[in-house]
Amino acid sequence: MMRVTRFIVAIGLLFGTASSTLAQDPEVPKGIELAAQYQTRTQPLLAVRPLGAPVDLVGAAESVRGILTRDLDYSDRFRIFDTPSSLASGAVDYAAWNSARVVYVVAGDVAPAADGGLALRVTVHDIPYAEAKPTRTYALPAPDDPEFRMAVHAVSDEIVRTITGEPGAAATRIVFVRQNRGSNDLMIVDSDGENLRRLTGTEGLIYSPSWAPDAGRVAYTLQGEGTSTLFERDMRSGRIRTVATPRSQLIMTPVYSPDGSKLAFAANINDRLELFESDVTSGRFQQVTRGPAYSFSPSYSPDGSRIAFNSNRLGNPHIYVMPSGGGGATLITPFVSGQRGYYTSPQWAPSGTQITFHGHWNSRGTYHVFVADANRPLSQIRQLTTEGNNEDPSWAPDGRHVVFTASGGGRNGLYVVDVQSGRVRELAQGAGLRMADWSPTLVRTSGLSSGQ
Amino acid sequence: MLRRAVLFSMLVATATACSRNEPPAEPIPPTLPDTAGEGARRAAEQARQDSIRRAEEARREAEAAAARARSILEEMVFFDYDDSNLRPDAQEALARKVAVLRANPNVTLRITGHADERGSIEYNLALGLRRANSVRDYLTGFGISASRFTTETMGEDRPLDPGSNESAWARNRRGEFSITGGADRLTAPGM
Repeated sequence: MMRVTRFIVAIGLLFGTASSTLAQDPEVPKGIELAAQYQTRTQPLLAVRPLGAPVDLVGAAESVRGILTRDLDYSDRFRIFDTPSSLASGAVDYAAWNSARVVYVVAGDVAPAADGGLALRVTVHDIPYAEAKPTRTYALPAPDDPEFRMAVHAVSDEIVRTITGEPGAAATRIVFVRQNRGSNDLMIVDSDGENLRRLTGTEGLIYSPSWAPDAGRVAYTLQGEGTSTLFERDMRSGRIRTVATPRSQLIMTPVYSPDGSKLAFAANINDRLELFESDVTSGRFQQVTRGPAYSFSPSYSPDGSRIAFNSNRLGNPHIYVMPSGGGGATLITPFVSGQRGYYTSPQWAPSGTQITFHGHWNSRGTYHVFVADANRPLSQIRQLTTEGNNEDPSWAPDGRHVVFTASGGGRNGLYVVDVQSGRVRELAQGAGLRMADWSPTLVRTSGLSSGQ
Repeated sequence: MLRRAVLFSMLVATATACSRNEPPAEPIPPTLPDTAGEGARRAAEQARQDSIRRAEEARREAEAAAARARSILEEMVFFDYDDSNLRPDAQEALARKVAVLRANPNVTLRITGHADERGSIEYNLALGLRRANSVRDYLTGFGISASRFTTETMGEDRPLDPGSNESAWARNRRGEFSITGGADRLTAPGM
């Protein structure tokens, strides 16, 4: 009986994938799929039981449970089931949970730790299999510690990994730019929309913040009166240093190589925008493109062997891929003669197989977020958004969520879309929030196995 | 900018007043009835008054010409959507600038390209630079030295009109000009 339930879930997953495409709009050129409707797959139900706690830690236990529950909801791998009071405590009643069709139950407790922090004990129960996964104990800082929430996010990611074998994206932050009149602020927010704050601002036009793979640094550019500078900010100390670039009126779109040793960026040289790579430590840089037209917005493949970038060599911006270090470029986005397709801001997915970008396929259309197959040039691209204007997509390290800027259609701010289910949630509200870049995982925790 | 123009004309006025040696015009004093001598004196005085008036007029004209030259140099040019090609109206505005630049060989200009809010911020930075460079190339095509121009881009982040509609976008897709040197004694062409 329990195995049958699991089997039905698997069938749902298989069939859900097939029915994704909208009927093709006759206006839409060949090669573009309006994937407005996603797989309507059934997510397994998951419940987080109230965590046991001594009286003085009941509040802390509730806030841990709140963070875990929301993170697991935002992971889009489960549907959250509210724990009925009859199942809220005591031994986990597999038969009762199973008749409620719940597949996973997270149970545990919070206890004081010797260092003034907390010890969080978590057990994941697989209900159909009537199986408890190994219980783990995680050390958390005190609830008033600024690192408390991030430590709980890391536990959420560990629960996702325990159940699915795949990485989560809760223990992350998103940097972005808030456009003001005359200046742009550099901003940061936690993956769940908490801790929104300004890192720096009022010094000019800040553009294109980009995380280093070690998550310790963020690169960005500053556009002044006739000058342009590439900076690297240490995210722990807040110290800022200048990165070596050629002298140019326009330095833009910096991005780190996967090993963190190089920054690729675009610079205006002799009336063209060319791509350069700068060694972060030695300060040496080299030019990697030589025309035609403008090349900008580089993004490395996860293995570092290729660079996706923008070029307007066909008149309008399109997405190309070339070997890193330079060489022949391959057009990725569909080019239809006479149609003003416009595709910008490519970013390579952590999986290495997909590239997101934004643009439109007809003249004066609204902008939408798309996904293309990185390994099949000119193949079908998939449109992920349908309402309003949607721009500046950036991948989460879990490889299934994308943050983007939305305006119109009742939305205004930064939003997160789950590429698989199509579910969209708000991350930060407000006009002029742009150029978001999702961090790598900031905190990892494996916890101590405590037997059982 | 207006304040600078006012300050400039005040400076010109002061300079003109200092360089003139004639005493200020005075009422003609009553004298002995010497009709012939009286007529000559009146004529001389009239000539003096006329020369003062002419100098004053010339000063006013020079000021007006300088203001005209400045406004021609600072006149913005506008672009079509996602385009850095110069429209006929922009070409006319630039041809007027060429004449002023020829008449004032020391003047240097900064050309700033701007884009409307649609499209990616990065692409719009590049588009702004393309617009500024396209303006500079048109001007140098008339034989004006490229060393007299610097170009820059402000992308979509310095709109003239913060609205989100076609008329705001049309005003925001532009090239702006600021005089960076050689404008102490601007003259208008063909004066």
